[in-house]
Amino acid sequence: MILEAFGVMLLAVVVVLALDRYPRIAAAVAIIASLLPLFALTSWAGIMGISLPSFLAPLEFESSLVYNLGPGTLNLAITPLGWFFLLLLATSFPLALLFASSFVRNRAGGFYAGMLLTMLGSFGVLLARDALTFFLFWEIMSWSILAMVLRGGDRRAIVSYLSFGSLSAMLLLFGFMMLYFKTGTFLFGDMHLDTSLTTLVALSMIVAGLAVKGALMPLHVWAPHVYSRSEEPFVAFLSGGLSKLGYFGMLLFMYGIAGLSLLSSWGTFRDVSYFGYALAVIGAFTAFAGTVLAVMQDDLRKLLAYSSVGQLGYIAIGIGIGTPLALTGALFQALNHTFFKAVLFLAAGAVYYRTGKWKISELGGLGYRMPFTFLAALFAIFALAAIPITSGFAAKWLLYEAAIEKKFLFVTPIMLIAGVGAFLYAYKILYGVFLGEPRYDVKEAPISQLVAMWLLVLPLVIFLIFPGWVADLAAPILSEYGMQPIPHTPYVITTNLAAYNTLAVIFALMGALLVSLILYKWKPQEVVPHEDNYLAGEPPELYEYISMHAASNYYEPFEDVFGPVFRRGAERAWEIILAAAEFLGNGARRLYTGLTQDYSIYILLFFLILVGWWLLW
Amino acid sequence: MVSVPPVLLIALPLLFAFFAPLVNMWSRKAVKVYTLLVLILNATLSYLLFANVMQNGVVYEQLSGFYPPIGILLAVGPIGAILALLINTLSTIVYLTYFGEAENSVKFSMLYMLVTASSTGIVITGDLFNMFVFFEITAVGSYGLVASMRTKESFEGAFKYIVLGSIGSAFILLGIATIYGYLKTLNFYDIALRIDTMPPTARLMSFIFLIIGIGVEAEIFPLNGWVPDAYQGASNRVASFFSLGPSKAGIYAIARLIFTLLPILSGWQLALLLGVFTLIIGELAALMQEDPKRMLAYSSIGQMGLILIALSLHSETALIAAIFLMVGHALAKSLLFLGVRDYARGTLRNPLIAAPMFIGILSIIGMPPFPGFWGKWYLMKDLASQGAWLIMLVIILTAIVESVYYARFLHRGTGGEKRKLSRSETAAIIILASLLILVGIFPNYLYDPAVRAAASLLGGGP
Repeated sequence: MILEAFGVMLLAVVVVLALDRYPRIAAAVAIIASLLPLFALTSWAGIMGISLPSFLAPLEFESSLVYNLGPGTLNLAITPLGWFFLLLLATSFPLALLFASSFVRNRAGGFYAGMLLTMLGSFGVLLARDALTFFLFWEIMSWSILAMVLRGGDRRAIVSYLSFGSLSAMLLLFGFMMLYFKTGTFLFGDMHLDTSLTTLVALSMIVAGLAVKGALMPLHVWAPHVYSRSEEPFVAFLSGGLSKLGYFGMLLFMYGIAGLSLLSSWGTFRDVSYFGYALAVIGAFTAFAGTVLAVMQDDLRKLLAYSSVGQLGYIAIGIGIGTPLALTGALFQALNHTFFKAVLFLAAGAVYYRTGKWKISELGGLGYRMPFTFLAALFAIFALAAIPITSGFAAKWLLYEAAIEKKFLFVTPIMLIAGVGAFLYAYKILYGVFLGEPRYDVKEAPISQLVAMWLLVLPLVIFLIFPGWVADLAAPILSEYGMQPIPHTPYVITTNLAAYNTLAVIFALMGALLVSLILYKWKPQEVVPHEDNYLAGEPPELYEYISMHAASNYYEPFEDVFGPVFRRGAERAWEIILAAAEFLGNGARRLYTGLTQDYSIYILLFFLILVGWWLLW
Repeated sequence: MVSVPPVLLIALPLLFAFFAPLVNMWSRKAVKVYTLLVLILNATLSYLLFANVMQNGVVYEQLSGFYPPIGILLAVGPIGAILALLINTLSTIVYLTYFGEAENSVKFSMLYMLVTASSTGIVITGDLFNMFVFFEITAVGSYGLVASMRTKESFEGAFKYIVLGSIGSAFILLGIATIYGYLKTLNFYDIALRIDTMPPTARLMSFIFLIIGIGVEAEIFPLNGWVPDAYQGASNRVASFFSLGPSKAGIYAIARLIFTLLPILSGWQLALLLGVFTLIIGELAALMQEDPKRMLAYSSIGQMGLILIALSLHSETALIAAIFLMVGHALAKSLLFLGVRDYARGTLRNPLIAAPMFIGILSIIGMPPFPGFWGKWYLMKDLASQGAWLIMLVIILTAIVESVYYARFLHRGTGGEKRKLSRSETAAIIILASLLILVGIFPNYLYDPAVRAAASLLGGGP
């Protein structure tokens, strides 16, 4: 059934390529094709009656599907973990396409074809039950992303993506092959790993390879380039959906295949394995550095890209800590990030669609012109900055608690600081783009873009009210790893430290909001023009050299402090490695002098070496 | 199934090549059609031969009325059948591009048929001297093909090729003479039977002579000085033809040498070492190339190193990998060489060029679901089962280098004005790309023959 769905998707790829001239029809075909696999999967899993709670309830999972290719077999099955991520991808993907239907005008056939291929690859990864299938679909996804990056045509994006993508592929391949060497099988179910060094190296390589796609520092170099130089609907899916596959893989390999006891056998720190602890520290560092870098950006896309890097770091922290609470938090954060980052990238796309500008310091006041885009983005920003009562807050609360529970004195404060940093850049988006003085007289975004954004906001609202549903989805995953699911009801998640009760929080915050609104409205307000604020009434002509925009150099002192440390650190390392390779390349090239006599002498020398080698031997 | 005498694959194109001038006297335009028909006929015959070998096992044919080991023997095993089919089919497809050309040279068509026939001869012969003769025909024909552009670069490339090719031939001849001097036979399988009666010194010397001689043709470092200049100087069609014909025949000859003729341990070790060096040098040199054709030529050298590594591991899995790599490389590189004609900004704006070229590059850098992926996967699997971590590391690092220069190559093609290739060239690269997809998605069509070829080679058979 699922293979037929894949076949239909491949067919759709050809059809949309042929429909290059008719972008809207191509979009419609692509959207329909993108919905098919989900239906195929739900029917394969044996449920068709879709009402929301039952749709989200744990499914009865069937045994795997085996497909013989000759040189290897493909094993596919729905697992609880795969199903969770499938839900994320399958909901965000058609909406990104819907947005694209009005956004992408140029060579639309290629766009939809590439998108469908990334989707096909990512679905295969999520269903894979052996290393060959995993790697095969992983790479299909990887090169179809490359095809989309090529459309952008930016040199740094292409070179960094392909070199890091290739690094990731090779790390994965090496890791899989080492596991094969140890266990003699590629089937995940049959891999019984021992505590040898080979296994440790293999697992580290696999996790590093996955971390490239998950944009963990210092392997994130490609992400800002790619995120900021490709079309927004694609970036929304890439950042929102595809980057999660790295974390899906980490969960699969660290807890599904290796297991907690194996990880702990290499030493533990406060009951958390060193392996996981290292990942948590890297995650914390990523969350912090990503946030700092995001604050410094003026390009809206770059800001969102670094923010993505930072937010993904939180997922790594949760996976690293590896308690049921932390894993639930990580899954929750993955879910939130999928939707709020997709909304933000799409909102940025909508802003660009209307104004043609990416720089925050050239935008402003769009909230008055594009109110619905603004409201969607506002909701996403709330979730991103983890303002209480949003689902973003619930996720991060679980993660904070998990870290506090383990008394992680390094990770916890960094997480908190990074959380505050998120306010800084969230404010920059909010104020620089949507508030302040209106600069452009533009219309609201087209209806298809609005619908896409608001449908993506919907899950954020749902999980705001029912955070327990995420714990419901996480329960079968945890029990598969031999862990106790955390106690919960739809509204309440109970932890060792306290219980997070959404209803209580919502009512408390509503009350506080009401009170503050009354207090705020009590005093009459006076609206002062920008220039008066800045120039204290002096005529602005005198100060032309001062940029009047609130967002320009807004965080200058902050940049002075952190800039020298963080700006382009990993990128410079990458450049140095590339330069070293080029140095070697020049050496190799010089061997080919272009002179026939040299080449003849090579042959002669080679002959003499062989004879000499044989004489000595 | 019709049983086809293998000799037809060599004899027919040779014969028809000599009739080509007559056709030319009758009508200049008919030569292209005539050549294409001959090539199609040959491709059909090679398919029939392939089917026959797959059904009934090895096909032997003795020539000139004497029984082996005195008479010349043609022995077509599974690997020979696969490569004969590959060479003949792809050379037909590549020849299609000649129809888009205003130029119409009967010499080019003749040489093309000659080299096709002799490359096929190398992979189906069972006799060492016969193989040498075919090597010579291939080489002489190739010199002419390189020079057929009549530019300064093509003459330069052809000249370098002539000098190094002649040195290579001399070495092959020395090796043959050594073997013949001791064993008084030139039949592969007869030599293999009695190789133990040769003194170890002579055995090793003949191995060294032969691997140097064949290595020149198979583009092995440090014997491949001619490669970059010849590929750069040759027209795209010829460069593309080289990467599917003569180079594959050369690598086949090395396989024959290390598996059948002189299966000695130090030989495999030497081949492995050569493979690793060829891979590293080729990929690194490609990194810094500005000229796209030169870059592809160095990339070919790297790929040859990879194939040589796979051959020298001497196991079934690695041999299957080698066959996938050979087929993948022949398809993808001939595609890329056709596509880089006038390569500049804007080439990849045209989807009809961009999609096939992209697929070709993906296959070369080992992305699924293309043949290059299956080759790399199987090679790594075999290396892992032997615990050869160092070689795996080399392959991995060079793969990353490879992706960097292909990324630059891809970037160079984006943006700018939309460009076009001639209609026949577009058709040829689309056909080659669809073959890549077919072999990649249905690998079992190549896998089953590859398994047989591996078993046959490991057993010392054809």
